[in-house]
Amino acid sequence: MSKYSVIGTRVNRVDGPEKVTGSAKYTFDMVLTNMLYGKILRSPYPHAKILNIDTSQAEKLIGVKAVVTGKDTLGKKQGIWRRFPELCDEEILCREKVRYIGDPVAAVAAIDEDTAEEALDLIEVEYEPLPAVFDPMEAIKEDAPQIHAGVELNINVTRHIEWGDVDEAFKKCDHIREDQFKCSSQAHMCMETHDAVASFDYSGKLTVWTSTQSSYYIQALLAGMLGLREGDVRVIKPHTGGGFGSKFELDSAQFCASVLSMKLCKPVKIVLTREEEFTATKRRTPMYYYLKLGAKKDGTLLAKEARVITEGGAYTGMGATALYLTGFFSSFPYKYPNYRYDGYRVYTNTAPTSAMRGFGAPQSVFAGESQLDMLAEDLGIDPVEIRRKNGMTPNYEVPGQAYIQSCGLHQCLDEIEKHIKKRGKLPPNRGIGIAAYGFMSGGIFNWFDTPYAFSAAIVRINIDGKVDLFTGACEIGQGSDTTLSMICAEELGIRLEDIRIHAGDTGICPPDLGAWGSRETLMNGNAVKMAAADAKRQLMEFAAAKLGANIVYDMDIKDRWIHLVDRPERGISYFDAVKEAIRGKDGEVIIGRGHYTPHRKGMISPAYSFGLQAAEVEVDPETGRYKLINVTTAHESGTVINPVGIEGQLEGAIMMAGGYGFCEDQPMDEGKILNPSIADYKLIRSLDMPETDILEIDTYEPEGPFGAKEAGEGLTNPTAGAIGNAVYKAVGVRINDLPITPEKIFRALKEKEKQGKKSK
Amino acid sequence: MKKELRLTVNGQPYELYVKPKTLLVEALRDHLGLTGTKRGCNESACGACTVILNGMAVKSCSILALQAGGGEVLTVEGLARGTELHPLQKAFLDHGAFQCGFCTAGMLMSAKALLGENPKPAKEQIKEGIDGNICRCTGYNSIIRAVTAVAKGEYKEEK
Amino acid sequence: MIRDFEYFAPKTLKEALTLWDKYGDESKIIAGGQSLLILMRQGLVAPEYLIDIKGVSELNYIESDSKKGLRIGALTTHRTIEKSPVIQDGFIVLAEMERRLASIQTRNWGTIGGNICHADPAGDPAPVLIALNATLTTASLKGERNMAVEDFCLDYFETALEHGELLTEIQIPAAPPHTSTAYTKFNVIESDMATVGVAVSITLGSSDGICQDIRIALGAVAPTPMRAKQAEAALRGKKITDNLLKEAGEIASTEVEPISDMLASEEYRRELVRVLVRRVGKEALARAKQA
Repeated sequence: MSKYSVIGTRVNRVDGPEKVTGSAKYTFDMVLTNMLYGKILRSPYPHAKILNIDTSQAEKLIGVKAVVTGKDTLGKKQGIWRRFPELCDEEILCREKVRYIGDPVAAVAAIDEDTAEEALDLIEVEYEPLPAVFDPMEAIKEDAPQIHAGVELNINVTRHIEWGDVDEAFKKCDHIREDQFKCSSQAHMCMETHDAVASFDYSGKLTVWTSTQSSYYIQALLAGMLGLREGDVRVIKPHTGGGFGSKFELDSAQFCASVLSMKLCKPVKIVLTREEEFTATKRRTPMYYYLKLGAKKDGTLLAKEARVITEGGAYTGMGATALYLTGFFSSFPYKYPNYRYDGYRVYTNTAPTSAMRGFGAPQSVFAGESQLDMLAEDLGIDPVEIRRKNGMTPNYEVPGQAYIQSCGLHQCLDEIEKHIKKRGKLPPNRGIGIAAYGFMSGGIFNWFDTPYAFSAAIVRINIDGKVDLFTGACEIGQGSDTTLSMICAEELGIRLEDIRIHAGDTGICPPDLGAWGSRETLMNGNAVKMAAADAKRQLMEFAAAKLGANIVYDMDIKDRWIHLVDRPERGISYFDAVKEAIRGKDGEVIIGRGHYTPHRKGMISPAYSFGLQAAEVEVDPETGRYKLINVTTAHESGTVINPVGIEGQLEGAIMMAGGYGFCEDQPMDEGKILNPSIADYKLIRSLDMPETDILEIDTYEPEGPFGAKEAGEGLTNPTAGAIGNAVYKAVGVRINDLPITPEKIFRALKEKEKQGKKSK
Repeated sequence: MKKELRLTVNGQPYELYVKPKTLLVEALRDHLGLTGTKRGCNESACGACTVILNGMAVKSCSILALQAGGGEVLTVEGLARGTELHPLQKAFLDHGAFQCGFCTAGMLMSAKALLGENPKPAKEQIKEGIDGNICRCTGYNSIIRAVTAVAKGEYKEEK
Repeated sequence: MIRDFEYFAPKTLKEALTLWDKYGDESKIIAGGQSLLILMRQGLVAPEYLIDIKGVSELNYIESDSKKGLRIGALTTHRTIEKSPVIQDGFIVLAEMERRLASIQTRNWGTIGGNICHADPAGDPAPVLIALNATLTTASLKGERNMAVEDFCLDYFETALEHGELLTEIQIPAAPPHTSTAYTKFNVIESDMATVGVAVSITLGSSDGICQDIRIALGAVAPTPMRAKQAEAALRGKKITDNLLKEAGEIASTEVEPISDMLASEEYRRELVRVLVRRVGKEALARAKQA
């Protein structure tokens, strides 16, 4: 019998009716009076000086209203790591130099899209191509072309994490492995591309509707770039067709539409094409991984050393965070007494790499879990057993780095072990591989240098008992509108249908850092809970006065009934109490306020969720082709607020993370992405999707609202690693570079056969 | 030179004047304001623009509006009857068969077309039925569960 | 972005041929448009005139005759072929091939004629039609021509169609007794285009089980779909064994001229041919034994 009325129940999404009827309006659908349409001209060179831009012919084209270049901007550079100005390196509209194929150089506003597109062809740009470099291993050399002035060897960011003494510890190990891995790029491939409608009015205020994960970040960054007061920029998030990490930085659609609108005082809409989406928006960070792992012969891990070079692309974006997190999560989810990580992010003349769901952890888990399986095999230890031996437990301190309160990893190990036993003896060429992970529930850092609380919410109770919940949290499909409404309803003791959420509008909602780093449930959930508790307290004052019960009794609200906890039949309806309270407050509505910033929780995350995933594959050894048969996950995320939501997040994560292991890739030639179309960018469709199962694990996180923590990003960590381990179990070959394609398996099998023949 | 286009959309007859190059999806979204149908790509690969034309699921970005002349189009806006949702819509709600919602209109139309041809499809046939529609959020399995539930008769259509 | 064009929608073949003859190089024919519109949207193809023949209903038919075989009008959609009871009964390999072609949406509107005329070397229908020994008819104001499907594709995206000519019909001869055809394509994503496509048709002698005739047709391994004639020669007139099939695969892998691209390297394509010719041959043999 659940102690909760709303959370933990299976509910329909609050934005559901609009979405299933096609009435949900996205930025993609917006049409405003006098709206113009914009298009962006982008560099065809990976590295070049801009000598001159002649827009005169384009301006003459009938229907063109404005053409802008970097000269029409304040010439500022921006970036999301505002605490470190040297990492704010992206102008968006380039003035002197372009640094990747796709870097914007001009933008046009016209009466329709076709005219705007035609105008692009009429803009003459004189470039002086410069030598370009595409591979971080090349870019880091002395003679490589310098991409950003003053950045030696193109080393953009370095990160170092260390505890214990790995060099000493390796000397004590019975067995040491050294392995290298290559992790590929990946495109977010949101169904709605980046888009924005910007409208600057004669009173000097800018309103931008955009598909975004963080209206607040976009507001602040736009204000900075355009020389406007933050308060004069309002960013509104309509329904948003996916984010996955691609939409919380200022992008070219938002910026160029704003610049054009400011020039014309008319609304301007820019929608990136799918090709632009693939080539000119940020992507997952490709990484070169070197790992050294040492253990005792009984499988106790003593030391791990990780050295990573990441392909930064042309600008920093969130790449510095990915660099840090990959190194931090390389130490998860095991207790390493000694650990050292050195990471280097290197600029290259390719599309910038940044944040994508998992944020460096899918890469670290692929490399780490592959290596751990190899070590286990070397030592003759079962893969589940070695993880059990070393896995993190509750109340564990990652030395000097982070404190983990709740941790259900061991329960996950037990459940997956049972699952593997149940699958029984597998037919030939089939194998089950596992991968374990731990992930953050909201990043702390504050590299954005916000003075605001990380999350905030306002609850307003109206005379009829209907509640307006205002939050900056951004619903991008992940279900935050529903989850937060559920938390609000639970705390206030009313029903989900009593809540109406207003989210992601900087004009009316308190700031929230946005939907990234798996933070909405924990951080914004805490803020919403606090706001609801505040409103509840005010309501209860009047209810208590009305009931006049003996002071020993305390009171609560459940299912719209305010009552004495020990005598539930004595009470007053929530609706009556609201009327009394508002009258008592001289007609003022009840307002509850809440906020949350993790204090004294370290600099990484206030909580971590854990899991173990088992992937079962069947390989055709003659061709290397393989099928994903089943992916079963034991994931613990504390109290489950929204079970339908979590299932959806898990299955969706398997499609995306499975794709990372199975088929998604962005091959390049001289900085040019070769497959910028959905026809050529392979991803998992319904016929390719494996069976998926979730094993429920019960844990409780004290830091989270009602004990909840994340379930959305951590789930993308393990699949590539699990697939790699599964392929090895199935046919005995290891592929250390992603994606794991049939051709790579085929070649590895041929090589293995050759080796086998040689040794005979 | 614009040409006359007569077609029925969601049971309503329309008369439009369109440039020949107008795609069906443009006629629906821009001329008729039916923005439920989305576009997600430029190479006929994503399926977000799926509508039902003359009883068949088609990608409306890959058909000239004029080619649909004289035909009957059903879009997501035509599924519900007033405020009474179609069984597929109810099933999608109950099963969480969508998240960001951008692919949903196309998905619903593919599902409707599938059930129209085959009211009791096996799981594999449902997968085939929606294979032309990409979803980046759900991992498809919840969609398959929703369609299965409708096929099993768990949602009665109001007459 | 699609450039403006003038649009015609002829209702008869005669009207269509007249327009096509008149506007020639400045025009394009659109049927289902599932390939053409992609090119037009990307600005790669920009005709002044577009002749929409989708409404020429006289070219939309499937007719079957036990003696003459199958005749498919060029404007028959993939989905119609896939679902046709006549085809499922007598030429199931065609239905199997159609079922794996792109998506249902594409198959509902796209036509077999449009696909063949697009002449994508990775196209699914051509190898199957070639294995089935199919012929086709083209028509112009001057008259008709007939040729083997095998001879129709000349190069990447280039066919033997001459000025003013339209493809009107595809003919598949009635199969001799003890004949059957099998097909597969290799890809990573189930509904994706072929990395390699293989179709094999085997005719066995009635009593002796000797392979009287064999056709091995391959797609996506050369600028046009091709026959692996040397591989065929290794099997024709012999009793087919597993070893012979293996040999045929080896030979076929040397006959092809595949390219290396994002999907696969040249060597891997050859390997796939080697494996798949053997497998599809085995499947065709099994089916022929039951036919």
